[in-house]
Amino acid sequence: MAHILDDYAVMSPLRYKNNWLKIAIVTFGLLVGVSSNSPLVPFIIAICMSFATIYFGKIPASFYLKIMAAPAGFVLVSAIIIAFFFGEGAKLFSFDLSGFTLGVSSAGLDMAFLVLARTLGGMSCLFFLSLTTPMIELFSVLKATKLPDSVLEIAMMMYRYIFVFLDVAMGIKYAQSVRLGYKDFKTSFRSMVMLGTNLFIRSWEQGEKIFVSMNARCYDGKLIMLDEKRPVRLPELILTVAYFMLVILTFYFTRGASVL
Amino acid sequence: MHIFEGFLPSPWWQAWFVISIPVILYGMYKLNKLVSERREVVPLLAVAGAFIFVLSSLKLPSVTGSSSHPTGTGMAAILFGPAITAVLGTIVLLYQAIFLAHGGITTLGANAASMAIIGPLVAYMFYKAASKAGMNFYLNVFLATAIADWVTYVVTSLQLALAFPSASGGILGSFTAFAGIFATTQVPLAIMEGALTALIMKYVVQIKSDVLVDLNVLTNSTVAKLKEAMQ
Repeated sequence: MAHILDDYAVMSPLRYKNNWLKIAIVTFGLLVGVSSNSPLVPFIIAICMSFATIYFGKIPASFYLKIMAAPAGFVLVSAIIIAFFFGEGAKLFSFDLSGFTLGVSSAGLDMAFLVLARTLGGMSCLFFLSLTTPMIELFSVLKATKLPDSVLEIAMMMYRYIFVFLDVAMGIKYAQSVRLGYKDFKTSFRSMVMLGTNLFIRSWEQGEKIFVSMNARCYDGKLIMLDEKRPVRLPELILTVAYFMLVILTFYFTRGASVL
Repeated sequence: MHIFEGFLPSPWWQAWFVISIPVILYGMYKLNKLVSERREVVPLLAVAGAFIFVLSSLKLPSVTGSSSHPTGTGMAAILFGPAITAVLGTIVLLYQAIFLAHGGITTLGANAASMAIIGPLVAYMFYKAASKAGMNFYLNVFLATAIADWVTYVVTSLQLALAFPSASGGILGSFTAFAGIFATTQVPLAIMEGALTALIMKYVVQIKSDVLVDLNVLTNSTVAKLKEAMQ
């Protein structure tokens, strides 16, 4: 099962920094990265964000590299397709495959590199957010938006029950595997069905129970949370501005790059 | 299938947000209406969303050795209808982006369009049409979820093809390339997800059929008929 990045966020020292500052940094990185024409910009963003996550956020570097490799499969396959099919002009190299000529043009290769760099930059911004900011902190930010209360309520309760059900699912899965429930394809399919069914029925009964227990505690459709005030400190501000300047300058000087 | 952060270039990620946001807003409107009528559905929908999240993080056993995850949204569409599934699915996608680094924030619009809106909508329409035609319930669930899973991948291929058209063949050329790789490898997984969901439904009918009656998925008479067939 996948790692829950939230576990690391709860322990990170950056958790106690201003939420809006972190969100501004991440949004800035995402938007500039996705609209840049040169692979250099997302690459600089990726380096800065990874440094911030590992050094300031105290995330183990080996774990960070491992989660960075997670999107690699999808991204590499798609980048190879883009390299082969995108762009025209002189082919850098080509080969015949049962009648079809497949070739990589320089434009296609540039595009593939740009997409790779953008994904790298975007993922590092996303990891910065998810490894330093627990969801609990983000709820207070979401509360400030105009989203309807019912959606936020559901999102908050869902967050709680994801952990409860993951525990249940892991427990059932261990119990099944020590009884050789995943020894071949047929048994693993059967075990999976039983796991899914039990999870569904358990979650349903749990849902009915929470409603009763929350009603008994005067639930009126609103969960109220404490929103802590965390002022932005000067060193953080200086560092953020320096990072923004670096990225904007690189963006400015590479805006004439050839791709798209 | 999730498109990762930063993968879609500029006009396209905004375009998919423009397409998904109205649908999600409509879903929120429906949800608000349902919640104001029946307040007890709030925790139920929350646990249903958590269930989708956990189900989609389980690995499907697969014949080819490659591993993949069920989407779970086809089942949600059959249970709750497409409008509410759009909202639940979008929250799940946001959590997947933040907790598991599957997907992303700028690509959330595109991912919501394929996984939370179009796939579930297809499943729902197929399910409704086939149940009107009197198809066997389990076969219907199997086909509806398998088709939804597969359609999700076709839509993702289309999204990638629109963003990166091929030089010689245009959008169609790159669509066949993306679909050729992503949509064909997904066929066995779609069948697996369909079979999984149909069997889960079979056990649910056996053990807790009143849930399905409550949600208007089945009527009491069909439940009685299904139970009779089992004995």
